[in-house]
Amino acid sequence: MTDIEKVATAHEFHPAQLAEDAAFPEQANAFELGELSLLVLSWAAPIVLVVAWEILARTGWLSPQVLPAPSKVLETASKLVRSGSLLEDLAVSLRRAAVGFVIGGSIGLVLGTLVGFSRIAEAAIDRSVQMVRAIPFLALLPLVIVWFGVGEGQKIFLVALGVSFPIYINTTLGIRQVDPKLIELGHIQGLDALRLIHRIILPGALPSILTGVRYALATAWLALVVAETIGAQSGIGFLAMDAREFLRTDVIVLTIVIYALIGVAADAVARLLERRLLTWHPNYGPAR
Amino acid sequence: MTLHVSPPPHLSPPGPTAAVVVTNLKRAYRDRVVLDHLSLRIERGEFVALLGESGCGKTTLLRALAGLDRVQGGLIVAPRRPAVVFQEHRLLPWDSLWRNVALGLRAADARERAAAALAEVGLGDRLDDWPRNLSGGQAQRVALARALVQQPELLLLDEPFAALDALTRIRMHDLVRELVTNHRPGVLLVTHDVDEAIALADRILVMEGGAIAFEHRTGGERTARVTRAQLLSELGVDVSHGLT
Repeated sequence: MTDIEKVATAHEFHPAQLAEDAAFPEQANAFELGELSLLVLSWAAPIVLVVAWEILARTGWLSPQVLPAPSKVLETASKLVRSGSLLEDLAVSLRRAAVGFVIGGSIGLVLGTLVGFSRIAEAAIDRSVQMVRAIPFLALLPLVIVWFGVGEGQKIFLVALGVSFPIYINTTLGIRQVDPKLIELGHIQGLDALRLIHRIILPGALPSILTGVRYALATAWLALVVAETIGAQSGIGFLAMDAREFLRTDVIVLTIVIYALIGVAADAVARLLERRLLTWHPNYGPAR
Repeated sequence: MTLHVSPPPHLSPPGPTAAVVVTNLKRAYRDRVVLDHLSLRIERGEFVALLGESGCGKTTLLRALAGLDRVQGGLIVAPRRPAVVFQEHRLLPWDSLWRNVALGLRAADARERAAAALAEVGLGDRLDDWPRNLSGGQAQRVALARALVQQPELLLLDEPFAALDALTRIRMHDLVRELVTNHRPGVLLVTHDVDEAIALADRILVMEGGAIAFEHRTGGERTARVTRAQLLSELGVDVSHGLT
């Protein structure tokens, strides 16, 4: 297997250092090991786990109905991709997440901006939002199903609901945290209200808003998993529930892996956004 | 720019050479009077330094002139919106240097003008750099460029060099002197540094009890030395011993 070969090369890379692991206290080792060795070591552990899983599954210690071998999951993935159904379900899921994210994100951004700017809007809106926020939004699921049935509406609503809160809170916070001295400077330089928002307040609030986006992406994903698990006719969640009926643990594990991969990808996109939009920020921008 | 309130009958209109005329300015926080019938006139091209103990109201005066604080009585007549440089540079960290300098500049050639202003403060090669890559002195020079690019008739400096190290401060003094000579705005420098006031100003005002208590015109080296001791005593510092 390729996995086994990788582990072998990893161990051969610095066999001496790895051997030292046992002999010396940890701190001394961290000091002696180079960056590369540490990187190899950090990858070695998960790879060893996967290989152990593969071996246990193949030798029959792990029943395929409990946990199929990783190779079997990969095989299933390639079959499903070739038949076209996996990509189709994936597209359906991504579309639900995207639509829900845009709707919920817009609501959160608009409300958050209003409340961030205006004491009146804060008095009118904030308490209600905070009250609704106190409800774990997944607890609303039965109610949402009564409202929307188990169609697209229910899924998109749940995602939008989950997304709007982190965006709302971080937008409000971001606007409040803009340095009042910079706003004062804007007045001195003769900026009108619109230019003040455009040149000073929104850029100042952006780091916080983007943090909200990252939280929201994680919430969107969680909302989608839950929403799709109930009464879906398509999508990754449907794939998983359908597989459960036939005890296809390989498909179930595959859907779990896909959820994880998309979560990682979404986070990477959010990080990329931060790096692109916040080049000026000492904590995000590239090194000088 | 006019900040309301009944003009006193003896008010003379600001002459064509005045950068700002302040008459009978009043400001109190609750029952603590900060500005008490303060009057002041600064000509264009004149460099005025304002000394005073902490809390004597000099920053309140500057903020009133900048239009940042309300006054409760009196009159401020200034031909146009003044430019301000604060103790902190107040650069927008998300904008490049030229965009910082051009902030509020509504002209098609904003970038060229900003570039010229940056060149004037010796940072003409850093147009697209970020503020975070600047030293304290460089950042303050950008703030000066941002103030001067607006062609102000009145320039307000609120202890702009207080946070800089001694060497940088001396270089900034030279730069400011040169810039003011070239642009000829009226300047009000609020500072607590007597030597800085002597080094830069044509006229030094000492503020006390919410009004101008003493006024000096600075001249040659000799006058300056006399004034220094006098200024310090006016500020309540005992200078009878140890003065060279």
